[in-house]
Amino acid sequence: MQLDPSFIWTAFWQIFRAIPTTLSITVVSVLLGFAIGTVTALVRLYRVPVLSQMASAYVTFIRGTPMLTHLLLIYFGLPMLIDGLAESFGWSFRSVSIPMIGFAYISFSITAGAYMSEVVRAGMQAVDRGQVEAAHSVGMTSFQALRRISFPQALAAALPNLANSVIGMLHGSTLAFAVSVVDINAQAQIVASTNWKFFEAYLAAALIFWGLTALIERAAALIEKRVGAYNRGGVA
Amino acid sequence: MIELKRISKSFGRHRVLQDISLSVKTGEVVVILGPSGSGKTTLLRCVNYLEKPASGEIAIGDFKMDCSQAKRGDILRLRRKTAMVFQQYNLFRHKTALENVMEALLVVKKMPAAEARSRSVALLEKVGLGGKLDEYPSRLSGGQQQRVGIARALALEPEVILFDEPTSALDPELVGEVLEVIRDIAREGITMIVVTHEMGFARDVANRVVFMDGGVVVEEGTPDDVFQHPQEERTKQFLRRITPEANWVI
Ligand SMILES: Nc1ncnc2c1ncn2[C@@H]1O[C@H](COP(=O)(O)OP(=O)(O)OP(=O)(O)O)[C@@H](O)[C@H]1O
Ligand SMILES: [Mg+2]
Repeated sequence: MQLDPSFIWTAFWQIFRAIPTTLSITVVSVLLGFAIGTVTALVRLYRVPVLSQMASAYVTFIRGTPMLTHLLLIYFGLPMLIDGLAESFGWSFRSVSIPMIGFAYISFSITAGAYMSEVVRAGMQAVDRGQVEAAHSVGMTSFQALRRISFPQALAAALPNLANSVIGMLHGSTLAFAVSVVDINAQAQIVASTNWKFFEAYLAAALIFWGLTALIERAAALIEKRVGAYNRGGVA
Repeated sequence: MIELKRISKSFGRHRVLQDISLSVKTGEVVVILGPSGSGKTTLLRCVNYLEKPASGEIAIGDFKMDCSQAKRGDILRLRRKTAMVFQQYNLFRHKTALENVMEALLVVKKMPAAEARSRSVALLEKVGLGGKLDEYPSRLSGGQQQRVGIARALALEPEVILFDEPTSALDPELVGEVLEVIRDIAREGITMIVVTHEMGFARDVANRVVFMDGGVVVEEGTPDDVFQHPQEERTKQFLRRITPEANWVI
């Protein structure tokens, strides 16, 4: 077999169509994962009884098992749960009406939540206790101190790691092929096998991923620069 | 008028404060002296409820609180009546000097932004930082940061300001500017409790000096009384140690 450079270009445009699918999986799992991760991290940091043990179990389980396994567990487990509940409560909803991509959204959000909770936790721990005390000393409630003082700084400190999580979820979204979602990688496979030009198609997919990753890194760097401005000393 | 009654506090089995009582009149400046570990910081932190006293009573004006059964609302009220200036400044790192001072006015007092701003600007001008309103703490010297800390403490017009060794983290050449600001606000009649090792300053601004050791008040009196004619052996020892020249000053 010989390399067909021009097919890389052809494949590139055919694969392009799958970008929205990949991005939607990434964006949904990152946003929901961030929400889940933040709640999980706070529950553990504030040692909320019962919930914090559940949160720890969730994080260790998810981080101790592959992302593909999460997807398969959700894909096979969730319908049993939903249909079981639907039957006993007499709902008309059935799991067959969940689109395939829905399983990817749910499972990858759960995956991202566990990883991002560690990122948020590390960020929160980077904020020194003295500032929280200063907030309390002027009469702020714990929630006000969290919202106004520690959380914004935790986010700023966590930004580089959050960007890595986003990139991780972008690349991880390729696993959605396992539940027949056609993302960039799956689309490359379709293009490849219909033309018998595997290397060219996957190379095109790789280029697209590379470009998207570069965009995320770029955006993260810009945000970091804006948000982290307060950290750059001058005098002192 | 601030009145602390029989405040006790332990860390584990270590009794750090043992039934401390102290009353401070409005406008009075009380300086607390004492060796390291005597409980000075812990006492100030109890007044601000950053540390929960095991027992005792705190009264400020007509507000009164039993520490052992303080409710959330009591704690917030107490904290609004007191302010703390920290040894390590503890400025909000992600906020400018101006925002640091405005923060409590906006969030705690719910003051309109324009009013909070003009008040904060005035306070920063008072501490000599009118030209540094928009600087982040990372771009301020230690002395400037501490002056922002003082402006932040003044913002809510507390009934008492608690200073915990406000100059001990500073380079020697920056100590003067901060002490000068504290002296100024002391002259305005703001009630203060100051923990410091700056003896000259203590003599200068204090209406009363309290010497603590081992979690109890060993001796208190006017600066003259305590510095020139200490009654207790522990006070004499401490003063000899901290001011070697005291021997010939007396
Ligand atoms: N959070 C804490 N946990 C346990 N022990 C503590 C804690 N804070 C203070 N202590 C202990 O309480 C005692 C009094 O401490 P405190 O900081 O009040 O002393 P201090 O008079 O301010 O001393 P210094 O002059 O060194 O600042 C010390 O023995 C200290 O080790
Ligand atoms: Mg201390």
